[in-house]
Amino acid sequence: MSFVRLREIPRTISFRTALMSLALFGFSFLALFGYVYWQTAGYLAHQTDKALHRQIENRSRQPPEERLRELGEHAEQDAEQRTPHTLFDAQGRAIVGPIQSLPAFTGYDESNEFVWRRPNGHSRPIRFVIHPLEDGTTLLVAQDIHSIREFDELLVNALVSGGSLLLVAGLLGAALLGYSARRRLDTLSCSIERIIKGDLSNRLPTLGNGDDIDRIASVVNGMLDELERLMSEVKGVCDDIAHDLRTPLTRLLAGLERTQRHALSQEEYACAIEAAIAEAHGLLQTFRALLRITEIEDSARRSSFTQVDLGRIGADAAEFFEPLAEERGIALEFFPGSAPSHVAGDAQLLFDATCNLLDNAVKFSPDNARIQVTVIAEPGRIGLRVADNGPGIPEAEREAVFRRLYRSESSRHTAGNGLGLSMVAAVARLHDMILEVHDAQPGCRIDLIQARLG
Amino acid sequence: MTHVLVVEDDLITAREIDAALRDHGFDVTCSGNGRDALVQAIGETFDVIVLDRMLPGTLDGLGMLTALRAAGIATPVLILSALGELDERVRGLRVGGDDYLTKPFEFIELTARLDALLRRCVAQGPARDNRLRVGNLDIDLLRRSVRRGDRPIDLLPREYALLEYLAQHADQVVTRTMLFEAVWNYSYDERTNVIEVHMSRLRRKVDGEGEEQMIHTIRGAGYVLRSPA
Repeated sequence: MSFVRLREIPRTISFRTALMSLALFGFSFLALFGYVYWQTAGYLAHQTDKALHRQIENRSRQPPEERLRELGEHAEQDAEQRTPHTLFDAQGRAIVGPIQSLPAFTGYDESNEFVWRRPNGHSRPIRFVIHPLEDGTTLLVAQDIHSIREFDELLVNALVSGGSLLLVAGLLGAALLGYSARRRLDTLSCSIERIIKGDLSNRLPTLGNGDDIDRIASVVNGMLDELERLMSEVKGVCDDIAHDLRTPLTRLLAGLERTQRHALSQEEYACAIEAAIAEAHGLLQTFRALLRITEIEDSARRSSFTQVDLGRIGADAAEFFEPLAEERGIALEFFPGSAPSHVAGDAQLLFDATCNLLDNAVKFSPDNARIQVTVIAEPGRIGLRVADNGPGIPEAEREAVFRRLYRSESSRHTAGNGLGLSMVAAVARLHDMILEVHDAQPGCRIDLIQARLG
Repeated sequence: MTHVLVVEDDLITAREIDAALRDHGFDVTCSGNGRDALVQAIGETFDVIVLDRMLPGTLDGLGMLTALRAAGIATPVLILSALGELDERVRGLRVGGDDYLTKPFEFIELTARLDALLRRCVAQGPARDNRLRVGNLDIDLLRRSVRRGDRPIDLLPREYALLEYLAQHADQVVTRTMLFEAVWNYSYDERTNVIEVHMSRLRRKVDGEGEEQMIHTIRGAGYVLRSPA
């Protein structure tokens, strides 16, 4: 397992995403908490103000003597000075109450706060309201708001500590996410590197949970399957080529060497040269056919597709082969489809494919056989069918006949390079068509069919 | 004498083409790269140019052809290429090529196509008569009917097309490939033996009992329609 360097973590997408959500979450946390704080503090101040105004109302209704007496009693009873109400004379001197001088205030009957230095040296936050009385004195009603302040502080502390906890946990989580993503990607790139180095059987690891990386990995694995199939096919073809081309080359060489050894007459030379040319032509033809299949398999050809009438293709091919069939006494019939049969395709390739099928049918059918070319135009499927009543293709060989250079045992002695049906298969693949071999009882029936949507 | 410019970078192929064309009675100038060939093609007058698609240096075959056409020179060009597929062909013809031949090719195919190109250029001049006559063979191009002497010949549409093409190129070798492309409108494939059957059918109808042979088979190459001597 690979080692993940710490400084690589911040570059991972997971880490960045986690960081982003952390920032978003932190912001909403702050907003929510701020709102709660603002509401609570406001509520407490409001409650205090209500009590202070009630006090003023009660006091101002009392006659001055009673008020003075009750304030004095209150000052004595309130030893902790939670509500240090004080009465001042017109000159601002305290008459009764613990506060010695009028604190600065913004206006009568308005709530103000100040820090009161008590005679014992302690400072206390005080919320107060000042009210002028009708006898010229000034009443200050006050409330110690130390506990409210403490509560506020508690709230802020909770905010700060909770926030930091959140930040730390979030950062750790993000780093962890980044780390795991990094490690996963490192495993993937390791596998890919191994594949690049040539181990095509290797696959990307998947967790099977269907997440994004898993999905990409399985797509890549699918691609690798296809690649491996192609590679093995290429290797198979190379082996086949090596084998199949060696035979004619050996024949060619043997013929030339024999002529060289027994140089006889002018005529024999001419004969030998002709035979050599024929062999060389055969070789070239095989190469050409192989190249052609390769070119067909390049799906870039799809860009040149046009609307092609399969009926027209079938008719052209049947007409083209008609004299050849007639020469062999074979009845070649063409049945046009009952409905229009247009497909997107390459007319040249479809014609060639149909010709290849017909070529095989004519080649392998006995004299006086019957060959039928039919256009299939049914709802849901469209295509061409070539059927004969010849020997047919044995069940076991129906897959193999589409392999390049494959020649069945029974066809080894007939002319051909084993590429005709491979070419048809390549054309079918290019056109998203299915190529099916059926038993025509007796004979062979090959369907080239495109499934139609709708 | 017909003067041909051969642009081919492979020396051996160039020599073979040179020899084959000289045998055919052409005068040949060879050039190994696109730049020199362009200068030569613009400076001298050639009847036809054989151009390899792949050339060394900055100017490849198609580039040279494009430049040639841009310079207003309409000399017919036959493109030679190892790239045989349809798209490549179309590209070659689109930039101004007149014919396209895929390597490996047979020299008889090359000379036959060059003859056809040269003939086409001559034929483009005067307005075409709507009758074709080769010897005592008389083809009515409008009614698509054929007579040999007094004997009407009844032909299937495809047979008529074959004969018309042969008559248009009378006394010239026409390869099976050329026939296939001209008559069936599909490009070349290896099905030459099928064309042979079509041709033997046509021959049976054209060269009747006791008549002198007009359609001749050129072994390993194709066919030629000749007036009886």
